Amino acid sequence: MSEPLLDVVDLHVGFRIFEGYLSVLNGVQLSVGVGERVGLVGETGCGKTTTVKSILRVLPMPPAKVTDGQILYRGQDVLRMRRRRVQALRRHELSAIFQDPLQSLNPVFTIGTQLRDIVKDSAIGQGRRLPRRVIEARCIEALRETGMPDPERIMTNYPIQLSGGMRQRVCIAQALSTHAKLLLADEPTTNLDVTIQDQILRKLDELVDEHGSSVVMITHSMGVVRDLTQRANTMYAGSIVETGETKQLLEGPKHPYTQGLMASVPKLTGEGISEGIPGRIPNYLDPPPGCRFHPRCVHRMEACSAELPSLFEIGGGHRAACYLYGGEA
Amino acid sequence: MVAFIGKRLFQSLFVLFGLSLLIFFIARVMPGDPARAALGFLATEEQVERLREEMHLNDPFPVQYYYWLRDLMHGDLGRSSYTRRPVTMDLVQYIPATFELILFATLISAIIGQVTGVLAGYFRNSWFDGLSRLVSYLGIATPSFVVAIFLLFVFSQVLKLAPGVGRLPIMMTPPARVTGFMTVDSLLAGRPDIALTALKHMILPAISLAVIHIAQEGRITRTSIVENMQKDYITVHRVHGIRTSRLVFKYLLKPSIIPTVTVMGLDFAFLMSNAFLVEMVYMWPGFSRYAVTAMLNKDLNAIVAVVLVIGLTFAMVNLLVDIITMFLDPTIRLRTGGS
Ligand SMILES: Nc1ncnc2c1ncn2[C@@H]1O[C@H](COP(=O)(O)OP(=O)(O)OP(=O)(O)O)[C@@H](O)[C@H]1O
Ligand code: SF4
Ligand SMILES: [Mg+2]
Repeated sequence: MSEPLLDVVDLHVGFRIFEGYLSVLNGVQLSVGVGERVGLVGETGCGKTTTVKSILRVLPMPPAKVTDGQILYRGQDVLRMRRRRVQALRRHELSAIFQDPLQSLNPVFTIGTQLRDIVKDSAIGQGRRLPRRVIEARCIEALRETGMPDPERIMTNYPIQLSGGMRQRVCIAQALSTHAKLLLADEPTTNLDVTIQDQILRKLDELVDEHGSSVVMITHSMGVVRDLTQRANTMYAGSIVETGETKQLLEGPKHPYTQGLMASVPKLTGEGISEGIPGRIPNYLDPPPGCRFHPRCVHRMEACSAELPSLFEIGGGHRAACYLYGGEA
Repeated sequence: MVAFIGKRLFQSLFVLFGLSLLIFFIARVMPGDPARAALGFLATEEQVERLREEMHLNDPFPVQYYYWLRDLMHGDLGRSSYTRRPVTMDLVQYIPATFELILFATLISAIIGQVTGVLAGYFRNSWFDGLSRLVSYLGIATPSFVVAIFLLFVFSQVLKLAPGVGRLPIMMTPPARVTGFMTVDSLLAGRPDIALTALKHMILPAISLAVIHIAQEGRITRTSIVENMQKDYITVHRVHGIRTSRLVFKYLLKPSIIPTVTVMGLDFAFLMSNAFLVEMVYMWPGFSRYAVTAMLNKDLNAIVAVVLVIGLTFAMVNLLVDIITMFLDPTIRLRTGGS
């Protein structure tokens, strides 16, 4: 693989709250190549959204605090960039779709106002001032691309006038309207009706294809990972525990946590996660030392609770953070 | 939208009806004989009785109410026992002076209050937030007449940066009266110089009135800014690279200002009667002073008129606040039907 577009290196993020310090991200490693689609799965609370927000540098600070690591975008560390540079990245390079379309749109502005400002500010960032007609046409085109019926009318609507599915289409249109190079899709369909989840994902897939963007697709669904991604990552309690080609990961999961996930997934439907693994995600106030999965792991050894395992190479780019595959064990 | 405004107007009518009953009650049912009050204690019993008949005071209350309301509609509120003029004439003279002043005060508090509230909220826990909190508490704790005296002394007497009391210097001839707003009338008369002078005369009293509202409204806006900054949609705006000024003063301000608008309206209406001490300090020939004078002199007709004006102001301001809120918040607009 040539130089990755995005390379998250050993990212540590925590939250200072009343009860103490939540040590959430614990050395996240994640890389995305140019034009590549990468899946990220993990049960709720494992830190997926926190990772995405760190990359976009929109974590609320305080309470959030980045204690270590780098987020390299085309080799430059986003965490150490000037504000201006980050703003430029958000305008032209990065984009995101979030979990809850009902909360993602400003309730007191029309869809048109919100979409137009994105296009306008993105162009201004490139030193151009677009004529109103061009902005309008681009917005309508972006909405039309998502399969939205009657985009001209939608432009004049307020979010509450739209259904969840339509709002998520608007969010997709917003994210794609500036032709971002990397799209971070954080469970874009989890809060939608099952019947339209598929539709929306297929549309998103199609659009990403046309635009040639790279994607990080966060999901609870193995089915989505299988259908839409080339590489996949499993995340557990703040770190990536396994990474590899989607095929490798789905057909021969190596990390005990990924294996548990697969076993718990009813074949092909891709629904439900983690019911198959006894125990719960650890408390971030006082996480278990070493491999954070060890209290739930059937293979645990002495070394497991001593030190966090790094991602050991298994072969062909397939790696797992587990002492079964390397280290002093 | 039209339907909404129509509905609110209709509701206002009920409020006004209730208000008129209340005032009628004050005017007629309270102890005291209006006919005797009008004629003075030297009049004979026959004269008073004749006037009583003329004023329909011997009729049952509903009939009395009808005649009273009819007179009211014709702008006849009786005579003031203190100024010895028709109350309506007094009102026409005094209301615009106060209205102009408190409109200006409201404008000042709206602008300064919102800007400081937004900045304090956006940069919460910064030195600016701390400073504005401190100044706000001082502003809330200091009575407006103290501010008035202080400002008058410092800026007018000592520094000579602002003019003294009154609406215009004594030597200056006021423009022909059209609206009663000194600034507007001057402009209508083609005298922007007088308008400017009148504006300068309003600055100190308006600031004196505005201080407490700047503080309160600023705090309210700060609170809702802090709350709305946690909203997902603000994160989304930031992710899309919306520029900061737009983010703050458009996308963050609009949803945050909605609770403040209601308070602004109430503050404005309160000033109608509460500007009294500031009007005294600045010798402002205004309605608040008139109202207090009426109370102190048991000037019944004037009191009735004052209550009426204050009630009307509240009703109108409430209507206006509802309409503005509806413009700001599409949820309300769409729920009440008709976009
Ligand atoms: N603003 C915050 N303040 C305090 N704790 C937070 C905050 N944001 C996230 N956390 C904590 O970080 C942990 C990870 O949250 P995150 O939202 O990243 O999980 P997730 O993997 O996206 O889960 P889900 O699948 O439910 O979306 C959670 O335990 C949560 O309590
Ligand atoms: S490192 Fe040890 S505890 Fe962790 S997953 Fe591997 S075997 Fe289990
Ligand atoms: Mg999440």
